[in-house]
Amino acid sequence: MAALLELEDVRAGYGPTSVLHGISLEVKDGEIVSLLGANGAGKTTTLRAITGGVRWTGDIRFNGKSLKRMHTEDVVRHGIAHVPEGRGILTELTVEENLKLGSHLRRDGAQVGKDYDRVFEYFPVLKDRRRLSASTLSGGEQQMLALARAFLMKPRLMLLDEPSLGLAPLVVRAIFEIIKTINESDQVAVLLVEQNARLALDMSSKAYVLEVGRLAITGSSAELKGNDAVRRSYLGY
Amino acid sequence: MAHRLRTLPPRYWLVLVVVLFLIGLPTVIDSFQSGEWAQALVLAIAIMGLNILVGYSGQLSLGHGAFMALGAYISAILATRYKMDYLVTVPIAGLLTGLIGFLFGVPALRLSALYLALATFALAVVAPSLIKRPAGLTGGVQGIVLLPPVPPQPLSDAYAFLTGTAMTSDQWTYYVTLAWGLVLFWLAWNLLRHRAGRAMRAIRDGEVAAAASGINLAGYKTLAFGISAFYAGIAGSLFGLAAGFVSPDSFPVALSIQLLVGAVVGGLASIPGPLIGGIFAYFLPIESNQWVPTQTWIPVQIATTIEKAGPAVTYGAVLILIMIFAPNGIVGLVGGAYARLRGRVRGAPDRDTGQMPQDTQTV
Amino acid sequence: MQEFLQLVVSGLATGGIFASLALALVLIYNAMGLVNFAQGEMAMLATFIAFTLINRGVNYWIALPLTLVIAFGGGIAIQRIVIRPVERAPLLTLVIITLGLATLLNGLAGAIFGYVPRSFPSPFSVQTVDIFGAYASYRDLGVIAVSGVVLLAIYLLLQRTTVGLTMRAAAHHAEASRLLGVRVSWMLALGWGLASAVGAVSGIMVAPIILLEPNMMQTIIIYAFAAAVLGGIESPLGAVIGGFIVGVTVNLAGTYLPFVGGDLQLAVALAIIIGVLILKPNGLLGRPSVRRV
Repeated sequence: MAALLELEDVRAGYGPTSVLHGISLEVKDGEIVSLLGANGAGKTTTLRAITGGVRWTGDIRFNGKSLKRMHTEDVVRHGIAHVPEGRGILTELTVEENLKLGSHLRRDGAQVGKDYDRVFEYFPVLKDRRRLSASTLSGGEQQMLALARAFLMKPRLMLLDEPSLGLAPLVVRAIFEIIKTINESDQVAVLLVEQNARLALDMSSKAYVLEVGRLAITGSSAELKGNDAVRRSYLGY
Repeated sequence: MAHRLRTLPPRYWLVLVVVLFLIGLPTVIDSFQSGEWAQALVLAIAIMGLNILVGYSGQLSLGHGAFMALGAYISAILATRYKMDYLVTVPIAGLLTGLIGFLFGVPALRLSALYLALATFALAVVAPSLIKRPAGLTGGVQGIVLLPPVPPQPLSDAYAFLTGTAMTSDQWTYYVTLAWGLVLFWLAWNLLRHRAGRAMRAIRDGEVAAAASGINLAGYKTLAFGISAFYAGIAGSLFGLAAGFVSPDSFPVALSIQLLVGAVVGGLASIPGPLIGGIFAYFLPIESNQWVPTQTWIPVQIATTIEKAGPAVTYGAVLILIMIFAPNGIVGLVGGAYARLRGRVRGAPDRDTGQMPQDTQTV
Repeated sequence: MQEFLQLVVSGLATGGIFASLALALVLIYNAMGLVNFAQGEMAMLATFIAFTLINRGVNYWIALPLTLVIAFGGGIAIQRIVIRPVERAPLLTLVIITLGLATLLNGLAGAIFGYVPRSFPSPFSVQTVDIFGAYASYRDLGVIAVSGVVLLAIYLLLQRTTVGLTMRAAAHHAEASRLLGVRVSWMLALGWGLASAVGAVSGIMVAPIILLEPNMMQTIIIYAFAAAVLGGIESPLGAVIGGFIVGVTVNLAGTYLPFVGGDLQLAVALAIIIGVLILKPNGLLGRPSVRRV
């Protein structure tokens, strides 16, 4: 079976500085894949390349279709939800309006209603605050909002950029729990960029380690947990 | 000496040729045309002032026509009411307008570029009705009629000796304007290639960064405003000399737009730009109105429409096209072509950011 | 007292006109952080289109919506053709382009329709009606009503519909909106179209009062600037309130301040602009702006 998302020798950068020097990776349908690496290794740039946020060469295919020269909004409409660095919350709008932006392209009205119920079940705090400005939410709540919004897009693949960043451990655990739930119950594939390697490896089936724009290590998450280099550099024991 | 001449950079030769051309011009065109060229040079001076403000300090004024009006009325009132020699009133008009511009620059500091554009535009629209109000001083709607300037006898004699005809009032106006133009362009060149120019450019390219590197933002921005208004004041005063009268309707919003067209067409942040821009902004509508009817391939309906539309359509189209395709104006185009010829592209606008290049100074 | 009330009512009517044009300015400001100097001229051109339609025998109440639709399309066309190529250019470039657009449209209207002022029909009679001792003309009341309907329609569109939501999203966070599948560039075009239509209403409302000619909006746009600045240039509600305040203030100043009179009312608008920008740059309802490095 062909992979849901395939990157083939992707190179990308900002202006004259190139950041990715030929990345190839794949994510299968319904699978969780971790993308690990130090700061500046190119994790965020990889995600941005997928959704057309930076110019790239090589090839990126989603569901068999090349995303070459496709605008961000069209990539997204093909079924990729990208929760970017900084979460991409529209702070000028209310919580509810943010959620609506997630579902605004969907035509399956009845299912949307059910999905809202599920979102509010996962994150009751969003229901309580839905009329408030999104800027009043705490960091953890904003992350929940971003995740809820991505879920409401009914994607086949979620790109999550450091969902644990700056959050309290308890909140992180809750959020990762829900990521797992969404993945299992809806067969949503996840490409997870994380600093917290242990957390990511616990959840994913496969992982890639980036080092200054190149793939350094590839393997199943279980293998990587046992890999000495990974252990020393990213797991810290 | 010969050695030094040979090592003179080509652009100095270019300046020399242009200056000699402008000095000799009245001897090859008629007196009326000299009057027209005087008007074009007046615009060039005002555009230089605008250029210092917009091109070098990044503050957009759409009200420089109002500063010109101020300079023109100061001169006209001093000359008619206080019987001063008009030529003496020119620097006074410049300095007073410059002072008021400086004072205007203080509140302008608090405004973003957009708000400044908005406020100065409003000023340009309101200016004519503000001028009309103190009718006792400004002559109200009629304005003030000025006597045509008389060239001094020795100069007129010398001119007659060289060309065979006595110097007319229009030719004298032309030379006065040219003299001011040369001095003011030379001053601008000196000012802008040194510290002040660098500081102002730094401000234009990023205020926060400029302030962080120790540039006195407030000081330079108000200074730019003052100098810019000084240029506009001189230009306004010379405008009265060239036109023979000043009236509220001599200074409509369209004048401010004309100045902007000239600044943009010539090329912002350049020294030769305003000269090219002044000539362009003055002669474009005149020439196109003469040229279009002679062209038989243009359908009559379109030709008459263009004629009736006057300069507005041309100005508007030129502003839009230049900003889209050549944001650094003619000087930028020529400079870019020259640089490409020499194998190094410098001064070409960055297509990705649309930013004007850091340094497009060519002379 | 009666005179005062009457001035207030007629001030509210002109204020409604300013409010419509100011709202158009705010729509574009919100979409791309730009003051559209061509807004008035776009409205003027739309009014000429309405004039042509009515002159050809089209009923006023058909010509009005038809003109708004044309203006809407025209606004989108302008954004696509003129603004989009320079969307990412420095602000000054954009400002100069809208000025060029204003000059161009003004010249075109002059060339096509001439500079002779024409009387423009109003569906409302100039007969007066007594309200609480003030005599208001049906025309003034009609203008207030039409402005009110337009403003309400815009409010509902922006706040209560999905299109309005995506427009607001695109205006505030282009990048984040793209990731949610919002076609940001088209939303900007939509903003221009909407602004063009709203501005057209102000032109059609003001033409019966000051006669239709290419320079008709040159002073109105200054009042609209004053209204938008006073209300806070990013606030639609502020623009509306600002419009009414400017309308009433200018009317009162023209009558009660002897040195203002009829011919310096525009200077009052200038004074409002400068005063607000210096004393309270964010206006009545605007939020303090954040400076970007």
